[in-house]
Amino acid sequence: MASPLEDEIQAEIKQHKILIYGKGTKAMPMCGFTRETMQFFDKYGYPYELIDALPNPAKREALTKMTNWPTLPKVFINGQFYGDTDILDPMEKKGEIEPLLKDAFQNG
Amino acid sequence: MITTHTLTAYLHKVLPDAVVSVTDRTGTMDHFSIRVVSDLFKGKNLMDRHRLIYGALGEPMKDGRIHALEIKAETTDGS
Repeated sequence: MASPLEDEIQAEIKQHKILIYGKGTKAMPMCGFTRETMQFFDKYGYPYELIDALPNPAKREALTKMTNWPTLPKVFINGQFYGDTDILDPMEKKGEIEPLLKDAFQNG
Repeated sequence: MITTHTLTAYLHKVLPDAVVSVTDRTGTMDHFSIRVVSDLFKGKNLMDRHRLIYGALGEPMKDGRIHALEIKAETTDGS
């Protein structure tokens, strides 16, 4: 049985092609890694959503359980979990990000 | 705050063969960039490699000795 929080997260993941769960807001990121992740996606020009997970510890816990990943930020692209920029940077070097985003926004 | 020695010891519990380089990003010994080279990563994708590292460092991450961590995880042949 999924918890209501999991349902909420699933709905958010579905709603936003690129979704970052991070610390702070776009106007005021509260963590260097959250800022780095925003800058990562700024380059590509596709819209992304940042959801502040700081005020909601229960939701942070649910996210950690769902992804088996303990840290923020957590990035979802087209419903799939991609960790953080430690994962995205090497993917970018291999040229995998552009086609992934293109596909997400064209067909997803 | 954690020493390079202690951090490396946590990693060696899970990855005994790991060669670990630790960079202190902020001069405060709690924001780190680490590079971990281990053949136990073979056949594991990047996310699972990172999960292994997060698992090994669970304790110092939970109690706040490690506040932020940037990870590079490779095998000895560079994959």
